[in-house]
Amino acid sequence: MKNKTDTPLTEDFDTQTLQINVGPQHPATHGVFRMDLTLDGETVVRLKPVMGYLHRNHEQIAENMTYAASMPYTDRLDYFNSMSNNFGYALAVEKLAGIEVPERADYIRVILAELTRIVNHISVIGFLLNDLGAFFTPLTYAFREREKILDLFEEIAGSRMMCNYFRFGGVKRDLPPGLLERIRTMMDVFPRFLDEFEALLTDNDILCLRCQNVGVLGRELALNAGLSGPMLRASGLGYDIRKVDRYSIYGRFDFKVPVGSKGDVYDRYYVRVLEMRESLKILDQALRQIPSSGDIISRKAAPFLKAPRNFKPPVGEAYGRVESPKGELGFYVVSDGSPQPWRYHVRAPSLINLTVLEDLCIGHKLADAMVILGSIDIVLGEVDH
Amino acid sequence: METLFIQIKTLLVNAAALVLPPWGVTLSSMIISALAILGLGPLIMMYLTLMERKVLARMQNRIGPNRAGPWGLLQPLADGIKMLTKEDIRPSAADPLLYFLAPILIAVPALMVFAVIPFGKGMTAADLNVGVLYFVALSSTTTLVIFMASWGSRNKYSVLGGMRSVSQMISYEVTLVISVVPILMAAGSLSTQTIVESQSGRWYAATPWGLLSCMIFFICGLAECNRSPFDLPEAESEIVAGYHTEYSGMRFALFYMAEFMNVFSICALTVTLFLGGWQGPLLPSWLWFLIKTYLLIFIVFWFRGTLPRLRADHLMGLAWKFLLPLAVMNIPAAAMSHFLSEPFSTAVPLAILMVSVAVLSFFNKGYAAEKRVYHFTD
Amino acid sequence: MLELIAVKGIYILMVFAAAAAFASSLLPNLFHGALALAAVLLAVAGLYLSLGAEFLAMVQILVYVGAVMTLVIYAVMLTGRLEETVTPSGRIQRAAAGVSCAIFFVLVCGVLLSTNWPAAPGGNPLPSVKDLGIDLMKRHVFPFEVLGILLFAVLIGALAAARREKS
Repeated sequence: MKNKTDTPLTEDFDTQTLQINVGPQHPATHGVFRMDLTLDGETVVRLKPVMGYLHRNHEQIAENMTYAASMPYTDRLDYFNSMSNNFGYALAVEKLAGIEVPERADYIRVILAELTRIVNHISVIGFLLNDLGAFFTPLTYAFREREKILDLFEEIAGSRMMCNYFRFGGVKRDLPPGLLERIRTMMDVFPRFLDEFEALLTDNDILCLRCQNVGVLGRELALNAGLSGPMLRASGLGYDIRKVDRYSIYGRFDFKVPVGSKGDVYDRYYVRVLEMRESLKILDQALRQIPSSGDIISRKAAPFLKAPRNFKPPVGEAYGRVESPKGELGFYVVSDGSPQPWRYHVRAPSLINLTVLEDLCIGHKLADAMVILGSIDIVLGEVDH
Repeated sequence: METLFIQIKTLLVNAAALVLPPWGVTLSSMIISALAILGLGPLIMMYLTLMERKVLARMQNRIGPNRAGPWGLLQPLADGIKMLTKEDIRPSAADPLLYFLAPILIAVPALMVFAVIPFGKGMTAADLNVGVLYFVALSSTTTLVIFMASWGSRNKYSVLGGMRSVSQMISYEVTLVISVVPILMAAGSLSTQTIVESQSGRWYAATPWGLLSCMIFFICGLAECNRSPFDLPEAESEIVAGYHTEYSGMRFALFYMAEFMNVFSICALTVTLFLGGWQGPLLPSWLWFLIKTYLLIFIVFWFRGTLPRLRADHLMGLAWKFLLPLAVMNIPAAAMSHFLSEPFSTAVPLAILMVSVAVLSFFNKGYAAEKRVYHFTD
Repeated sequence: MLELIAVKGIYILMVFAAAAAFASSLLPNLFHGALALAAVLLAVAGLYLSLGAEFLAMVQILVYVGAVMTLVIYAVMLTGRLEETVTPSGRIQRAAAGVSCAIFFVLVCGVLLSTNWPAAPGGNPLPSVKDLGIDLMKRHVFPFEVLGILLFAVLIGALAAARREKS
């Protein structure tokens, strides 16, 4: 089974390549992303990603507002994982201003971040299967589970996707009563769902045929391109910021980092499945350890909730990063002592992971290009921030 | 009940005989059959769309159409009205003649195929003595029409879809024809009615070679009418809608209709050739036929709801490297069962086929799924 | 009456076939020409059908319209000059083509006129599919097998050619 064509089949014919445009309006692209493809028959010989259709000047806007006012904007970066985005931004500013987070708030943050990871991975796998041509069935299964978690988010934050729940030094409000039990029941059911999902997909012959040895991302390239997250781990590097930085309270949990061997689409799929299982482990420990009461926002930061313009971090700079479901999500904030950040920059994992798209797709068929794009897991809100 | 439709037709013909000369009666008999078929095609298509949406919805934890009429029964009508009233768009660069002709021409063979399907005992519109060949010949012309549509609409996605469709149909047609040969050998006829009658003892699908034949025929049939998992020519995640990307409104509806009618005729023919056709106890023959056919159609929808799509090279590999040799090996196997006596007539073909499957699997082991082991780091 | 329709039908088909044949050679667009050729072949299948040769008609459609025409169109698409409306052919080429066609036409007419067509005997004038099969497998088994070997050799040759290109 060869995926890469060694030589063009028609050397003595004068064949023409076909240039097609996939996106920004195309049923397969994830959002308004455009691929400028050149095909030889059905084989991709050139691929030029075109982005910027969703550019919203995120960084510039943040520099013209108070620190707290940017929090809801981070929701819109990767709109699948608003909680993780909040987390990263909160970490950066807390580092800048030297704010400690109370223990209960830390646990709440970790629980929500891991729930977000599950939401993201399950939807990504659903969308990947859609790209493979499984007509929406895996996606609807995935979305049924996603809905359950989004219901929890709605109870906690009042919004399902744009949560805007984290605050510097803690979280916005305490969890509603009984919520932890509901997370617990959801978690007890989720592994059963995951088993079912895997039974349907993991050993499916067509899925294996379409995903294995397709879009192989070598370890070297992954490192040189600065990838992170499941993309990097599928290529065989066990790099996880939760382990490297042990930010927040991740040092307290016992979990492992799954690592792929080949770096193909199948590895990226399966690493995500395994990560969901690890997230469940973290959730389980966090739910057992979380203090039943306590502050949810640090005393130092609480006054600024009402008066955000009074929040003036000392002059300096800070880089806060989290392991978002898509990779390393970093926020770089520079303060000049005013209520607004002097410089604000987002290291968006979707954007950086997307840079290897052309290398992965060349030599593969058109159908594979879609699958590879799906396995990279991009959200255009983050790519085009 | 058994002869319900035949009685209706006799009644109509007799009524015609009162006013028409003898040749008119013959003509009216033909016209009645033709009208029945012509009416049946769109009706089947309309309700297959509803059935597909309902079945898929149930598989996806949804309810499906339920607004128009009870259980959404009027949904196809609403869709039809919508299709009819839509703006008729023709791309300015399209080849007007081809673009206009393709949707009409694609519906014609799809409808004509119905003529040889035995819907019940004595209910074949035209019992040709080359029935099976007629079916194969007509469905082979569809490739040309798809080419017309894809090339005529001057769209790159269409051309890609058309190319995929044609290469796929050529490959699978060969296998499809060869997979029918054992049945023709056993029945000694190409007439669909005779083939059904020759299965009064036992269905062909109940023999090892017949079962294999049935499976190959069904798979190839799915590929012929571009159904999942062989729906590459219309792969919406890759090439939008393939060869009918540029079509809208009624013209799109004709493509859609042809596709559903092809699904119906493939399932009906599988029933006819392998599953005893209209034969069955107690119930009237046409009802048996419909039950069996709709069960197969359900399986087609089931595939759509569950299987991811194959890639072009895998598709070709499956046809040429696995199904075709297997279908060829099936011919001697079927011949063996004809010439040997009872214990051997099942055992020998079974042995031949099992060996063939094993050998072919060995040669195709490049397509087998790899088992992966994942490790964890801290 | 029905016979009358059938007889008239033959003439209509003949005219249609001839018209399509002219169209296929005269149409400036290669793709249209190929499709007109398909129409010719379909019309010829219709002629077979109206003469009662159902098997032949079906094989004509299956082999010529279904398979050969598709290959022809594939070849046409490979030429890559579909949009060009004028096919480049010189004056001499045209003259040569016209002359050779005329010679062929005369030859065919000669053969048609000189052949003594046996009138169909009464009863069942047409062999059934079964008879055709038995004839093929018994009386003409040698040419049949030779053809089979020839096609097999072609298949292997094509495979070999395709292989060499890859390596």
